[in-house]
This record gives sequence, C-alpha cells and structure tokens, in this order.
Amino acid sequence: MTLFFQFVLTGLVTGCFLILATIGFSFTRRVEGFLNIAHAELLGVSAFATWGCNKLLGWHILPSAAVGILVTAFAGLAIGRIVYDPIRKHGPSVMLITSVGVAYVIGGTIDALIGTGIRTLDIPLATSYRFWGLRITDYQMMVVALAILAAGSLALFLNHTRTGLAIRAMSANPELAASRGIDVQKTSRATWLISSGLAGLAGVMLGVIATLSTDIAFHQILQILAVAILAGLGSLYAVILSGLIVGVAMDVSVFWIPAGYRPLVAFAVVILVLLFRPQGIAGSASGK
Amino acid sequence: MIQSLILSTLMFGAMFSVLTVSLNLQYARGGMINFGTVAYFAAGAYAYAIFTQEPPSGLDQYAFGFDLPWWAGFLAAGVAAMAFALLTGWPTLRLRGEYLALTTFAFAEVLHSVLLNERRIGNGSVGMANVERPDPAALGLDDTLAYAAAACLLMLATAWLFRRLLASPYGRLVDATRDDETAAESVGKDTARVRLQIFVISAIPIGFAGALYAMITTLVAPALFTAEVTFFVWIALALGGERTITGAILGTMALVFFQELVRIIPFETVRGAQVAASVEEVITGILFILVLRWQPWARLARRAGA
Amino acid sequence: MTDTILELDGVVKEFAGFRAVGGPQGLSFSLRRGGFLGLIGPNGAGKSTTFNLISGVMPPTAGRVTFDGTDISRLSTAETAALGLGRTFQTPRAFASLSVLDNVMAGLAHPAEGPLAALLGRWKPAEAELTGRAEAALERVGLIARRHDSVANLSGGELRMLEVARQLVRAPRLLLLDEPTAGVDPTLQGKLSEILAGLHAAGTTLVVVEHNLGFLMSLADSVVVLQNGALLAEGAPADIRRDPAVIAAYLGADHDA
Repeated sequence: MTLFFQFVLTGLVTGCFLILATIGFSFTRRVEGFLNIAHAELLGVSAFATWGCNKLLGWHILPSAAVGILVTAFAGLAIGRIVYDPIRKHGPSVMLITSVGVAYVIGGTIDALIGTGIRTLDIPLATSYRFWGLRITDYQMMVVALAILAAGSLALFLNHTRTGLAIRAMSANPELAASRGIDVQKTSRATWLISSGLAGLAGVMLGVIATLSTDIAFHQILQILAVAILAGLGSLYAVILSGLIVGVAMDVSVFWIPAGYRPLVAFAVVILVLLFRPQGIAGSASGK
Repeated sequence: MIQSLILSTLMFGAMFSVLTVSLNLQYARGGMINFGTVAYFAAGAYAYAIFTQEPPSGLDQYAFGFDLPWWAGFLAAGVAAMAFALLTGWPTLRLRGEYLALTTFAFAEVLHSVLLNERRIGNGSVGMANVERPDPAALGLDDTLAYAAAACLLMLATAWLFRRLLASPYGRLVDATRDDETAAESVGKDTARVRLQIFVISAIPIGFAGALYAMITTLVAPALFTAEVTFFVWIALALGGERTITGAILGTMALVFFQELVRIIPFETVRGAQVAASVEEVITGILFILVLRWQPWARLARRAGA
Repeated sequence: MTDTILELDGVVKEFAGFRAVGGPQGLSFSLRRGGFLGLIGPNGAGKSTTFNLISGVMPPTAGRVTFDGTDISRLSTAETAALGLGRTFQTPRAFASLSVLDNVMAGLAHPAEGPLAALLGRWKPAEAELTGRAEAALERVGLIARRHDSVANLSGGELRMLEVARQLVRAPRLLLLDEPTAGVDPTLQGKLSEILAGLHAAGTTLVVVEHNLGFLMSLADSVVVLQNGALLAEGAPADIRRDPAVIAAYLGADHDA
C-alpha cells in the first residue's frame, strides 16, 4: 500500500510539472486563439540554454536558469511577432499547422547545435526526504512549490493588474477589447512573454528533475496536449486540476500495467473525457 | 547516382502522395483536420506484415502470422485502416477543428504506444523484419523500378478514384457538408454520416500505402510510424497548395526529392550527417511556414477554421 | 391524418440554465394544414429560437413539438427535413464553394447520392431531370441568369432568394421562413410575395417570421405574437392589428405598416 501512495505522490509531482508546462500553452490558446504545437520546443530551448550557461560556461545554476528563462521568453515573443501575427487572419487551423513548422525549425536548430546524447546539469545531487514512509526529493518539492507559485502569481496578475485585465478582456472578446481602447499589440506582446517565460521555467525544471536529450520536447508536447485537452483548453484552474489528474493517472497506472504504457494512459484519459464531455472537464457548452 | 535519386524519389514520393491525396480529401474537401494520419498508415503496414508472416517460431514474440499470399495481406491492410478509421472516427467526428485534430493525434499516439509495448502484435519495439513480398526479380525486373511503378500505380488509382468520387452528386454533398453543416441538414442531409464516410474512405488508400511501405522496407517497427510521418504529410500538403490532387502530389514529390537529395550527400563524419539531417529539418520547417504564410488561404480558412 | 400539421405544447428552452434570454417559456400553439402563419414579436421574443426548436437545430428543454402526428421534439434537423419540413435562416446560409445552381441542386435528394453510386457512375441518369427542377426553381426566384455564378457574387437579398429556391425544389409540406424580406429589394419582395402566395394556394403550410408587417399581414391568414418567449396574442391579422395588448407591446409608436 505504501508503494501505491508513493506512486500517487510521484504522480502529483509529475502533475505539478505538467501544470507548469501546460499553463503557457493554455494561455496562448486562450489569448491568441490557437494551439501552439511549438510550445514544447520552448521547453527545450530553455533547458539547453540553461545547460549551455551551466555546463559550457561553468556558471552557477541560478544565473544560468535566469538566462534560460529570459532567452526563451524573448524567443517566444520574437516567434509570435514574426511568424504568428501575420497569419492570424487565416484562422486557428492554419496557425496550428504553422506551429508544426515552427516546432521543426526549433527542434532542428537544437539538434544541429547540441547533437545527440544525454546531458545533465551541474547541480548537487538530489536529497531524499521521508514522510510517513513516502520519499520525496528536494528538487521534487521545488517543482511543486514553483507550480503553486507560478499558478498563484499568474492568477493574481490576471485579476489585479492593468495588463492582466487587458489580457483577460482580449481572450474573452478580441474585437470588443480593441474597441474599448485596449492596446492589442502590447497585450499580445505581454502574452507571448508570459507564456514563453512559463515554458522557460518548465524547461529549467525539466533539466533539474530529468536528464536532457534533444528529443525531450517532442515527448513533452504529447503530455501537454493531453492536459490541455482535458482542461478544455480553458481556464487556469481547469489546467491545474487536469495536470494533477493526468500526472497521477500516468504514475499510478505503473502500479498495474507496464511502465511503457504511461503516455498511453494520458491519452486514454483524454479520449474518455472527450467522448463524454467534448469540451473538456471544465469547458463551457459554447466550445469556441 | 542520378538515376537512383530519381527512382527513389519516385517510389517514396508516389507512396507518400497516396497519404497526401487522402489527407487532401479529408481536409480540403471534408473540412476535417486529421493529425493522426500515421495511425492508418501503420495499421496497414502491420496488417500486411501479420497476414503474410509465417506463424511465430523461435525467438518471435508476435502471436499471429497467417502466412497468406501478398495480395491477401494487401487487402487486409486496406480493411485494417478502414476498421481503425471507423473505430476512431465514429466517436470523434462530432468534434470540430482543433478538437478533432487533437483527438486523432491522441489516437495515433495510443496506437503507437500499443505497438511499442504489446509484443504479441509485432515483436514490440523490435518490429517484424524480413516482411515477405513479391519478388520483382522473378519477372526479370529491377527491384526499385518495380516498386516505384507499383507506388505510382497506387497513387494514380487513388487520385483517379477520388476524382471520380467527387465529380458527382456525392461530391456536391461533401462540399455542402463542409461549407455549411446546418444548411445541409436543413435540406435533409445526414452530415454526420457524410463526414464519417469521407474519413473512412480516405483511410483505405492510406492502409494500402502502408502495405506497400512494408514491402519496400521489408520492416515494420514502431520507430517507422511516429507522428513525424503525420507532420511530413501535412507539410507536403501545404507545399502543394492544398486544394487539388495534382498539388498534393507535386508537393509530396518536391519534399521527398529534397530529402533524398540531402541523403545522398556523402559525409565524412557521423556528426556531419547529423547536422545535415537537422538542417534539413529546419529548412523543411521554414518552407512550411513560408508556404502557409503566402498561400491564398482566406477561402480555405473560412471553411475549415470553424 | 388530422387537420393540425404542427403543434407546440408547453415548449420551454433554457440556455445554460437561464430562462430569460430569448427562449420560449411554455409556448403552445397549433397550426392547421395549409395555413399561413405569421410569427411576430419584438427582438428577443424567441421567434428564431422557436424555429430552431421546431426544425431540430436544438432540442427543447421541456415540452413537445408534434409535426403531422409525429413527436419531433428530439429529432435532428436532418430528420425533421426528411419528414417534409423546410426552413430558411435569419442570416441566409449558402454553400460557399458551390455555384448558384449547385446550391439548389444540393437541396434535392438525389436517388444515387452515395459514394458507391459516385464511383460506379450510377448518378448520371437522374442528374438531367434534377438539373431541370433546380433551374425551374431558380427561374421562379429570378436567379436563373446567375446559375453558373459563384454565390460570393450574390447580394444579401439574392442569397435569401437562393435559400428559398433550395427549399422550393424539395417541396416541403411545412416551410418555415425566417425574415425572408430582410435586405431584399422591393422588386424581389414582390416576387417573393407571389411565390409564397403560390405555395399557399398549392397547399403548403407556411410559418413566416417577419418584421415587415405590411408584407406579412397581406399574406398570412393567422398571426401569433410572441413576447419574452410567451404567447401574447393569436388570431386573424385584422384582429391582431386592433389588439390593444399587441399595440402596446410591439406595434407601438414606431409601427409604420
């Protein structure tokens, strides 16, 4: 039974990581109106930028992580301005398909620069703590803390700042927002910075809790999509809930079925939910 | 060398064109975004391998091998893709736009994961090697030439049948369903049925192409059937300009030619080859972005974006 | 067969749990076969929603809709259409990629419309006759000269006439028209009035939602007035014009018909 709860605990940590990875994706979906498949590649950008500073330049992990997150945030902003802005008029389907092309470009660039093989960050080994027979490492606790911090500050930002309120207005009704004098350009820039910055944070976490290889981004997008679909591509709270559901479902499934099926479990959950609730667990009936 | 470049472009180009042409039917005519194309391709390839393979022996972990002639395997491939399309299409086609894209993507990942983990289907990650196939040498033909011809034949047959399918009242019905489902329903058309039909019909040639792919490579393994195949076909479709069968074929041929060209460049080191492969990926992506940016998209987006 | 072709019995539509916005709240009325009913009421009274409920675009939250003895409350749009119900939409709907002629052809039930018939070429024999029928309908609505045109080139009024033509070829027993004169110029309105009178004379039952009361009152033989999703008045056009409740609620000062 302890083993079972150990899986639940690990699942919650996985869920927190997935929340970090998905918030930015879901945020882009809400404000920019399309599914950005290339979002996961931004995790890779951040992870390898951090790794470069930390391993190649020999910096401490903290400044390295800061650089990684900043680089990612601005890379995301630049891509948004250069690639997505001009095609917004073509609608979400074209933007979705274009983002596949963007994923190729980023993935290929990382591949060309870094090459194959497993990389690790130069950080102290994880320390394990025991609570009631359950193990958790300090890095895992950090993931949980950061997920809570990121979700909390995003909620505060959206509800209590001018830019945040402008973003919410824009996600609810872009035309109305524009007619009410909201600076659409500025709001869109803020959205790209925030969602890419969050991807950056998730990328650093990935480097901390896992080993890095250039194909990680692709594996992440599968899980991000699972969480996002489950959340109904909608609110922050739905993302948090569905991140935890997918994380726990994946890790607890290992208790009964071979570990190779972990990604399958994520999608099985998604398919089941979509069959009964086409708009996700918290979606509204309008769906759009 | 030039000859082998042309032949392999023709062979893989024609084979992948079958996928692009089918996707074109689903997307440009049916208004459905299928992001799980590789699943129907894999279903065909595995069905072919399982039906033609000898029963398991020795170290084999797969459970079934029916040892049937190649044409039975080929037919089974079409049926398998059709069955998988029915299974996945029936519950998901009421979803629209990006939801459909994501769910088909999810189904493809589930299939991939099952093929990878369930060794009784096709030896798990190892796959099934030495897939049996008709030997063109028996007819005195060059191997690549014969399979290039077979791929072209399959491509032309698919294009011709689709064209015939759509140049009819059925084509009108399909267009009406995509343009305005509510209006089509208001004149008594069962649009859900039309969407499922198009989804299933276009999966059949993809299954056949999967069988052909298994014959050409003589190997079926999960690593050959990743989401990259799906993305590849989408990129080819975008390159070709989306609307027409000819465009879909030309786009695929161009993309395959480009990849085959990179492949024949001799590299001194492994790292060099690897960088070249990555650069190829980057260029493919950039091409994709540029094509989508400058295409006359407005009409299509109006139709498929809803 | 009864003399009643359409009956609404206590129909309620709630949107996301709210009754207040634009849905019928316990609406009941019936319509005799061959009748011509005008459905009027201020914006938001529930007229278009009522059409959507009858034609199966959405199911009612409660209540029953009976069409010619069949309960159609839970049927889909395609199913009600197959039973002989036709409708047009408040915003005209056209198949954007089809020509004007094909837009009307799409309204016909082709006897060999399936994929197999397409591959085998079995659809060809019936096509000529159906084309003839579609062209006759286009002739009637005055769009015959535009038959090979793209629908993108049609004006709003012409799109409405195209929608009418698409329903005409189907010869529905009950035809629901949602604001057929909106955006239609006076010449075409005259044509439309002629067509509707012709359909009425031929025995088709008609329900028309219309803000142009002059147009409607000259054609309809009975009128139902809705307000906030409920029946405000029901009767002959002349009586409705005199009904003080209707005048207060709807016709009011800005009534110019």
